[in-house]
Amino acid sequence: MVGDESAETPSAAGGREFWRRFRRSRAGVFGLCLVVLLVVVALAAPLLAPRDPQTTSLVTLNPPGTPGHPLGTDNLGRDILSGVLWGSRVSLTVGVCAAATAVLLGVFIGSFAGFYGGWADAVLGRITELFQVIPRFVLALLVVALFGSGLWKLIAVIGILSWPQAARVVRGQVMALRGAAYVDAARVLGLRNVRIIFSEILPNVLAPVVVIGSLDVAGAILLEASLGFFGLGDPNLVSWGMMLNNAQAHLRQAWWMSVFPGLAISLAVLGFNLMGDGLNDATDPRLGV
Amino acid sequence: MRTRMMAAFLVTLLATGIAAATPTEPRRGGSAVVAIGSDPETLNLGITTGYAVGAVAASIFSGLVWIDARGEIQPGLATSWTISPDGLSYAFELRRGVRWHDGRAFSAQDVKFTMEQVTGLYHGRFRPAFQNFEAITVTSPQSLKITLKRPYAPLMRLLSVFDCPILPRHVYQGEDITRHSRNNDPVGTGPFKFREWVRGDRLVLERNDAYWDPVYLDRLIFRIIPGAALRVTALEVGEVDQVADFYLPKTDVDRLKRNPNVRLRLGQPIPSMGFMFINARRAPLDNPKVRRALAMAINRVQIVTQAMGNLARPARGPFGDGFKWAFSPESDYDRLYPYNVERANALLDEAGLPRGAGGERPVRLRMVYDAARAPIAAAAAIIRDNLRAVGITVDLQPMDRAVMIERIYTRPDYELTVQTFTSGGDPAIGYHRIYASAASGVPFVNATGHSNQEVDSLLNRAAEVPDRAARGKIYAQVSQILAAEMPTLMLFDEIGVDATRATLRGVWIGAEARDRWDAVWVQK
Amino acid sequence: MVTAGSTPLWRYAAGRLVQAVPLLLGVIVVNFLLISLAPGDPVATLLGEYPAPPEYVAQLRREFGLDQPAPVRLALYAWNVARGELGFSFAYRLPVATLVAGRLGNTLLLMVTALSLAALVGVGLGVTAARRRGSGLDTAATGISLAGYSIPDFWLSQLLVLLFAVFLGWLPAQGIRSVREEYSGLAAALDSARHLILPAAALSFRYMALISRLTRASMLEAMSQDFILAARARGLPERLVLLQHGLRNAALPVVTVIGYNFAFVLAGSALVETVFGWPGVGRLLYDAMLQRDTPVLLGVLLMVSATVVVVNLLTDLLYAALDPRVRY
Repeated sequence: MVGDESAETPSAAGGREFWRRFRRSRAGVFGLCLVVLLVVVALAAPLLAPRDPQTTSLVTLNPPGTPGHPLGTDNLGRDILSGVLWGSRVSLTVGVCAAATAVLLGVFIGSFAGFYGGWADAVLGRITELFQVIPRFVLALLVVALFGSGLWKLIAVIGILSWPQAARVVRGQVMALRGAAYVDAARVLGLRNVRIIFSEILPNVLAPVVVIGSLDVAGAILLEASLGFFGLGDPNLVSWGMMLNNAQAHLRQAWWMSVFPGLAISLAVLGFNLMGDGLNDATDPRLGV
Repeated sequence: MRTRMMAAFLVTLLATGIAAATPTEPRRGGSAVVAIGSDPETLNLGITTGYAVGAVAASIFSGLVWIDARGEIQPGLATSWTISPDGLSYAFELRRGVRWHDGRAFSAQDVKFTMEQVTGLYHGRFRPAFQNFEAITVTSPQSLKITLKRPYAPLMRLLSVFDCPILPRHVYQGEDITRHSRNNDPVGTGPFKFREWVRGDRLVLERNDAYWDPVYLDRLIFRIIPGAALRVTALEVGEVDQVADFYLPKTDVDRLKRNPNVRLRLGQPIPSMGFMFINARRAPLDNPKVRRALAMAINRVQIVTQAMGNLARPARGPFGDGFKWAFSPESDYDRLYPYNVERANALLDEAGLPRGAGGERPVRLRMVYDAARAPIAAAAAIIRDNLRAVGITVDLQPMDRAVMIERIYTRPDYELTVQTFTSGGDPAIGYHRIYASAASGVPFVNATGHSNQEVDSLLNRAAEVPDRAARGKIYAQVSQILAAEMPTLMLFDEIGVDATRATLRGVWIGAEARDRWDAVWVQK
Repeated sequence: MVTAGSTPLWRYAAGRLVQAVPLLLGVIVVNFLLISLAPGDPVATLLGEYPAPPEYVAQLRREFGLDQPAPVRLALYAWNVARGELGFSFAYRLPVATLVAGRLGNTLLLMVTALSLAALVGVGLGVTAARRRGSGLDTAATGISLAGYSIPDFWLSQLLVLLFAVFLGWLPAQGIRSVREEYSGLAAALDSARHLILPAAALSFRYMALISRLTRASMLEAMSQDFILAARARGLPERLVLLQHGLRNAALPVVTVIGYNFAFVLAGSALVETVFGWPGVGRLLYDAMLQRDTPVLLGVLLMVSATVVVVNLLTDLLYAALDPRVRY
């Protein structure tokens, strides 16, 4: 990654200016709307869903428009709409928690490596590389397939496998900032390194981190869905990926089993991607993440 | 040859989706493509019971006998046999003029060698039978005699190509059998010869012109398609000609029934069952009352309709009703354990597991199953939902096969599991292992920890008595105990379905769709 | 300008490769630990659906070296790898190297086709969108690329199979070549090409989206820069400006996306190969996972990692060649 040598000092004006710039990006706002919609749906799922998504019935494979089942039913007579609504909770939980894990790890490792450089940077660089040369999805598949699935396991696995990107960007930014005048000033003032990292440097890498976080959520949702598609989602929760896995065997009789959860995944991923783009444009279009 | 025509005729009658069979002469030439789900792990059928191996190698090797579509035993490498009245001695006359694919002559020595050095040591189904062998005596190059220590009713069924394929002695003698290079390039006596194996893609066999019956197809091709739904797609678009029961997702059968280019065979003569092991080592499942409550709380009809696409019958007893002679009306689940939530609730209350404030009982059960099998996953979901209605919480734990085997069989760490076993053509071959406690701890046997000496000895006797009526009585006796103690809840009797493109003729004269590809031909 | 400071290129490359050795050793250790800590017995899955004779199971375990403690197995494995031996597959009883070699070509064919498709269409879309920024075309191109980036590729694969193989019947749903007919020469190539279309399309969509987004962004950036403005001011035709200056810049994101996402493309290829029954490395890996075929799993993962290392290095070198600002 090419470090930007001319990083500026933080602009405290932040908030309003940022929002003004963000609002200019129609796509970003649309993404934000999708994300808000997703959050609302996830929170209100018990109120919105016509029935319990896991309760089976003898009304099997009914098409959309069936009374009581606006999006139809699956092979066990479970309501698709309820599944799609409840599924948002798993996607959102895994997406946000895994991305948060990834970003925290990435910021920690990246800033450490970037600030200290030299030996620490080399070691952490090697670890980052290690995670980069084994395809993330393959490793996730391997771990979940070998050790079994579950909501917290998914979050941990996806989170732990997703930190290198954040680490790379943070490292680059921190390295660039390390030499900045105000950091030198802080050092001259005798501030401890940890303090410098936290109070002087990290606030400045916040923007790219938020962007990466948003994109990481999209990536985590997609990864969770891919694992679900292989039948490796949390078996005790309703998730879009698992719905798609289940739909596979019924694709030709019941396209609705596949189309609605698939759309839901695509929209959720789209939302976070667009939002991330919007945030990116609003902070620094040259960041190129 | 006559039996084969007869069997072919019967199959034509059985086959659905065809108005009237147009009788045409079998035609030489062409090829058939069969879908299988994975690469076979070897082509030496003598050392494994793997399904894919059988699918391919059954056409390369031959057994002493084969089982026809009605479940009757037909001559293969053995042309005739006599069984002594005490059931201890079997004398076989072997087919003359048979040659191995490499041109060497086949003889009784090959049979003796195979049983003593290969299948008797390595084959999961044949080995238990072989341990009961007293001696194998070659009486002439074309005849041999097997004497047993104790009578064993289903022996003849274990001489088919799937249980004891005859291997060439001249190739294997004195060599490391399990690691022999010819295991990937086998020499058999079957209707097709090995030609090519592109791993992950296809396996090609070609006609053996020296086979004793006419073989019509030039080539028999196996196509490896791991996705179940995609196997059906491939059949529908004509990329493959046949998908056998094991590889056919039941939920697609309704659609296939409406496809004029596809014919189905419903209900093969080899019963197999799906059931739920209940781990009796764990409280409160050690209490038979609780196990009986589960039996009444679980809706077997719902499982049959939704998980099995109606291609099964709700199980009616500890051995199902696939073997009519082994079914006992006294132990009929329909009478003893009809789906009845109230009675299940009452039994659970009685067992000292009252519902708590939230309506939940203090019972949390882990349901472990093979994640790769969609019908089992569906059955597990239904069972969880059914048990929730009586206040029992079930955690689903799908695992991949390797871990499932460990969690269920070798290191039992589960409360409930859904499994399916095939009978292998006789309850003594495939069903006894569900209940017998002797072999516990190894894969694919009783994993419940439930053990009853009376059950064990009754099962042993049922395997020895040759007469079906007498055996039926023993099964009635053992069924009664099993239905009362309920170590395992039988869920359904599968109704097998094989599917083929209508252009393939002469299919399914054998009990198994994997068998008898010599008779198959392509209609222009 | 590809020499970096005073260090010649080849020395830099060699240094990177030497650095990769401990990295690959790390890969082996991580994968080995994961696999050997995992529950599940590889032997149990190999022996069919009936209880296998215990002596046979014990014999296989000895043959596979599973009776040894894990550290010994790891050391043995690492030693063998150092000698260029990847071991024998449990499931296929064949050398891992043979198995992988048999599949590698198929995966590369799929990946190269998909990535070429992605690069062609992606750059085209990106350039068009950048040239007519804000137009309906730009919005459409952006929409397509965002869809591509958000639609899960396994879902796309299924939809493609449904549409083109099942409903329309135009293309085969499965495999790499027709099995019934034996083609040769041109007919065989055409036959393979027909089988290639759907999986390559499914695999490429995501990268096409990425490439078009990045191309658009870097084109916009480039076009606002002084030299382009100067070129325009000199009255050079717009098309020429785009080709000469813009595309050089656009080449960067393409190289970056392809290079740094190589590992992801490989992983995506595993998903797509599974759906389409494409006999490549990805499916070999997936099957090996299900069968607990440890030597194949380790071998494929190692090979994938080694490939990623090499591709990353090549990407860095290419990047340097394309962007003179980069120095080592």
